[in-house]
Amino acid sequence: MKIKNFTNGLVKENPTFVQLLGMCPTLAVTTSSVNGIGMGLATTAVLVCSNMAISLIRKVIPSNVRIPAYVIVIASFVTAVGMLMEAFSPDLYDALGLFIPLIVVNCIILARAEAFASKNNIGDSMLDGLGMGLGFTMSLTILGSVREFLGNGSVFGISLLGSSYQPALIMILPPGAFLALGVLLALYNSRKMKKAN
Amino acid sequence: MKEILKPGAVLLIICVIAAFALGMVNELTADRIADQRAAKNEVAKQAVLPTAASFTDLGEDALATVVADYAPVTGVYIGVDASGATVGYVFKSTPSGFGGPVEVITGIDMEGNITGLRIGSHSETPGLGAKSVEPAFYEQFAGKSADTYVGVSKTSAEGNDIQAITGATISSSAIVSGVNASIDAYHMLVEGGNGN
Repeated sequence: MKIKNFTNGLVKENPTFVQLLGMCPTLAVTTSSVNGIGMGLATTAVLVCSNMAISLIRKVIPSNVRIPAYVIVIASFVTAVGMLMEAFSPDLYDALGLFIPLIVVNCIILARAEAFASKNNIGDSMLDGLGMGLGFTMSLTILGSVREFLGNGSVFGISLLGSSYQPALIMILPPGAFLALGVLLALYNSRKMKKAN
Repeated sequence: MKEILKPGAVLLIICVIAAFALGMVNELTADRIADQRAAKNEVAKQAVLPTAASFTDLGEDALATVVADYAPVTGVYIGVDASGATVGYVFKSTPSGFGGPVEVITGIDMEGNITGLRIGSHSETPGLGAKSVEPAFYEQFAGKSADTYVGVSKTSAEGNDIQAITGATISSSAIVSGVNASIDAYHMLVEGGNGN
């Protein structure tokens, strides 16, 4: 097990800012900080489980049917996580339940299964899932915070700008997702280029 | 031939294992999930009609009439006090909001006043229409009269109007339309028929 597999997903190969994976849920749910962190953590849980399961069965799956096999494994995990959460932790389900079905269509899960878990052992696959998941959580939380701050004057539901602030509603509507993501990507890349020089 | 059979067989085995595992999880959780949902429903009913000690379902035929004639009302419960007298009705309606159906639970007592309102499951925009689940919005409805319709105001709410959520007029109007359909159904149940 190499720790590099964990840290890779956080910054260097951040799923949102570098790999541009999982854009659909990224743009749709990041209307507030809480939504960002909720979607991120729910994805992390499924990503760790599915990476481990796929790593475990990687030698028995014939390569020409590997994608349908991954989809079945992922969809089963997502459904099971949703049911278990609603039955045993209703409070958590109230907060995250909305995001669970969205994870099935999140291509990060499939991309990591294909690019990493199908070629590496179970320990490394778990670390990769954890790192990628937390990197995803981090970038979604940043994006959600920026949008909530501009669009609602608050971060994590705590009002920072007072009632005199006229919120830029567009930032929490769909166009705001593209605007905020574009600016954040530009900042991220300009920092990276400065570092490289 | 072998290239088709082997992958197919492996895929079949994976599917069987996955289906079996999901069946087990469902078996394990189905009862608890039903309990959780029923408990949540019960809490919402109690919150919108606090004077009721318990709730009974409306008769099947009466419910079918209400659902057919007073869309988007989808459910009616009769609130009764400890002595068994009817104290009011709880209506569940699902008007279409901005992002899909919004579950609106409205309580109306026998004096013709709205006693409370809660929003159940919905898919309104977080930060806009989703603010309808906050007390600042739904508490506006308690105490309004069910003699007339409830109106929506964008600026200052007077009389039987409620103040719309800023930037979410569609969500606010949808919820009010659910309430108004409930008011119609209420009058039919109280005045028109004799509750059956």
